[in-house]
Amino acid sequence: MDAKLSTLIYTLILFPLIGAMVIFLMPKNRSELFQPLAIFLSIIPFSVCLYLFSNLNSKSSYQQFDSINWISSYGIKISFGFSGMSHLLLSLTSVLILLSFLSVTDKHSRSKGFIGSILVLHFAVNGVFLSGDLLSLFIFFEAILIPMYFLMGIWGGENRRYATIKFIIYTVFGSIFIFIGTVYAGVISYSQTGTLALDYLTLTNLSFTQEQSKALFLLFTFGFLVKVPLFPLHTWLPDAHVEAPTAGSILLAGVLLKVGAYGILRVSIPFFTEGFLAYREVIAFLSVVGIIYGAIVAIAQIDIKKLIAYSSISHMGFVMLGISASTLLSLEGAIIQMVNHGITSGALFMLVGFIYERRHTRRISDFGGLKITMPKYAAIFLFTSFASIGLPGLNGFVGEFMILMGGFNTYKLLTAIAAFGVVLAAIYMLWAYQRMFTGEIQYEQNQNLHDLDTRELFSVIPLLVLMLLIGIYPSFIESYVLNDAKFITDIVELFTGGLD
Amino acid sequence: MNTVSQIIGLNWIVIGPTLALVATALVLLFCTITITTSDAVKKLVTISGIIFTLFTVFLKFGLFLTEGASSYFSEKILLDEFSLFGNVLLGFILLFNFYPIWNSSFELKDKTTEAIILTLMSTAGFMLMVDSENFMMLFIGLEIGSISLYALAGINKGSLLSNEASLKYFLLGSLASCVLVYGISLMYVSLSVTGVYETTIAISFIGSENVPLTTLIGILLLIIGLLFKVAAAPFQSWAPDVYQGSPTGYVGYMAATAKVASFVVLARLCIVSLGFVMDKFELFFSAIVILSILIGSLFATVQTDMKRLIAYSGVVQSGFILSGMTSGINGTSASLFYLAAYILQLIGIFLIFSTISGELTSDFSMNNLSGLFIENKFLSICFSIFMLGLAGLPLTSGFVSKFILITNLWSYEKYILVFALMLSTVAGFYFYLKPIWIAAIDKPENTMAKISLQLNEKISIGTLAAVTILLGVFPNVLINISRWVIENYL
Repeated sequence: MDAKLSTLIYTLILFPLIGAMVIFLMPKNRSELFQPLAIFLSIIPFSVCLYLFSNLNSKSSYQQFDSINWISSYGIKISFGFSGMSHLLLSLTSVLILLSFLSVTDKHSRSKGFIGSILVLHFAVNGVFLSGDLLSLFIFFEAILIPMYFLMGIWGGENRRYATIKFIIYTVFGSIFIFIGTVYAGVISYSQTGTLALDYLTLTNLSFTQEQSKALFLLFTFGFLVKVPLFPLHTWLPDAHVEAPTAGSILLAGVLLKVGAYGILRVSIPFFTEGFLAYREVIAFLSVVGIIYGAIVAIAQIDIKKLIAYSSISHMGFVMLGISASTLLSLEGAIIQMVNHGITSGALFMLVGFIYERRHTRRISDFGGLKITMPKYAAIFLFTSFASIGLPGLNGFVGEFMILMGGFNTYKLLTAIAAFGVVLAAIYMLWAYQRMFTGEIQYEQNQNLHDLDTRELFSVIPLLVLMLLIGIYPSFIESYVLNDAKFITDIVELFTGGLD
Repeated sequence: MNTVSQIIGLNWIVIGPTLALVATALVLLFCTITITTSDAVKKLVTISGIIFTLFTVFLKFGLFLTEGASSYFSEKILLDEFSLFGNVLLGFILLFNFYPIWNSSFELKDKTTEAIILTLMSTAGFMLMVDSENFMMLFIGLEIGSISLYALAGINKGSLLSNEASLKYFLLGSLASCVLVYGISLMYVSLSVTGVYETTIAISFIGSENVPLTTLIGILLLIIGLLFKVAAAPFQSWAPDVYQGSPTGYVGYMAATAKVASFVVLARLCIVSLGFVMDKFELFFSAIVILSILIGSLFATVQTDMKRLIAYSGVVQSGFILSGMTSGINGTSASLFYLAAYILQLIGIFLIFSTISGELTSDFSMNNLSGLFIENKFLSICFSIFMLGLAGLPLTSGFVSKFILITNLWSYEKYILVFALMLSTVAGFYFYLKPIWIAAIDKPENTMAKISLQLNEKISIGTLAAVTILLGVFPNVLINISRWVIENYL
């Protein structure tokens, strides 16, 4: 890769960190400047991502572009790499961070810690998507916890203590397995190469026995699945979503859940394929359980934020089903669905945040007839709900359709059951819409709600445009994931003897 | 022509740091009891003494470069990589703890400089201990160091807790010293040697399978004496009480020096002297490691006093360090890195405690931290960094040290230890994050008393926090140093 590209990619990692330092060094009495500065700071990674859309490398499968000696006496290197999938997820992150800065209200935007934490989060997430070795992947993966701890702990809701500690303990418990896996892979690498090199290029050339491959797959995948989250490891998610501040929820659903699936696609499957082939049915089964369970529980929710949280479990179940089916179509669909879910659930959480600032309640039954007082809000919510359900013409349809089509080749029964998830999605989203927006206004607090203002419209409309764009012209986004999906299917076919 | 001094290896540079410290302490004592010198002069004397000590460590390093590892003073004093590593660490511990100890001396009733004199003497003793080639010298060094620490623990005569801490530390510490001496004497009885290298030669001469039981018991007792000093379970019972009772300004120093000296000696013992018989102690060491990790983690989760929590966390960390040290040469290098990284965090935490509650107070409840973020953001951020470092979060030195250590253990196929260390890491996230929650996140019930942070305190705490982060991002330098220490024994 050329020098210009690697400079741009380093900008993506380092710029948010520098931005966070700038924010922390700002004088306290100029708090009105924090939000504009943060928006300015996050425009730069965003434009880098936009620029990269024109670069051919962003359509390729994984390429390492730099490697730094980290601990020389053990031969440990920190490497950075890049592929089409990373590029899409980086773009998604930068869009969501930019828009969440735009959408935060005065209460949060005037706090150094809040803005700074989000920038540190941006740094860590970009690090995960660009890391080129197991160790730096783990480091950035864990570094995500620090800003999330403070975002949820300080600016969270009433029950934040419980939710934050649950979130941290779950994630740490999962990442301990990733850590053990990293150590194990390091020891194997040491016995074969004489160094503790753990970069993806070295890992490709290592030969694992079947037992090693199985053990490593389980260790890594378990850690990542906690983050996805796959049923039954999901219980931290609803609590975390409900207690996190709006921007935290947007990033949690939009970005952090993708980190786990990304790790499985980047590490677990390509390097430990034999393990994957041994356990893929289990994952597929659990994802289908998650799809149905998440949807059914979502129907029963009385808190709109919790409803969206459970819908996330259902949608991420589709992603995991697509990954475990591992046909070309289903893998492409899974990656696209990751992006789609980021966009839709980000938009939904943002919309819930808007209504929460006005009414300070999230109970569905506290609303009703909002369509009369807030027509723009109602229209946008309906549009986003349709995208979430998977209405043809919007983004949700593309990903889920590809996953179901591709998955049917591998798991006929499971995919058929999973298809009911789409129907259930229509039930919980539309029923919630009906209860919140249609009918007469029952509570007088809802009489005088003002509709979305310009700032709010500006922060949510870009996401609606994206939903429409991906829905109408999916081959644009598909061209960026094609090589990644091909890479994985090639490896899987190599091990199964090309039967699939 | 060889003079006598050359034959017995009389080289003052080798014990230069010890001599410099003792001289400084004596001058200071003289200033205090005979002439009424102003505090500024005393301070100048002490600071220049400490700087001169660091300079002599530097001279020793120069001597090492020309001479290599060698014995002096009729093979009583050793100049090798371990002693240099220990000297440098002990010197820095003294440097960073100078201000809290100095300041607290003037809060005492009779406003004497005895605390600082005791501190200098104990560092001198521990430096002698890490320099010792002979077990007798080791004992002398250990006693000079420890007795000063017993007195330091009880320096706040008005405080009941401080007296209790001192008495407990003294009684249990002397018991441990007795055990240590008994071990040395048993080794002498059976092997007729008292030296680090002599032991190796004697054991290899009689063959490791023919080593008499008396020797093994002697070695075991010697090791137990050292394990007491590092508060490894089941010899940890003194640590929480002593940490809690001793004046806060001194605890960081007390904990750090004893740990550094004992661990450096233990590392040398494991690599140099016991190389041939280490496998006989494998079960014993594994049991100690697992007990330390288990007891430390379990008790740390229920503590409400911060100093007790750090004491139990110290038990866990001792288990970690010990696990590497007893698993071969590469593991020892990882442990030395771990030791250095841990000590810096430990000192930093106690510096923060003493700025919050004052140097002389004993109790430091977790609730004392409440409102720290509002009162002083700098301290609260540094505190979080230290705690996260202890927990082993990536981007801090704690993570790198745990990673290197566990990789080494795995490559020695010590899976049970790896499992135990992993479990305690998860538990660690619970008890290390709890104080951060109280300090930085919880809304405080009542506002905290004003913290007056002097410039020197700010600099030392900031430096330690920065080093914790820097070692997590660029660990190469310290890892190379810790590799260098063991390189000749590979």
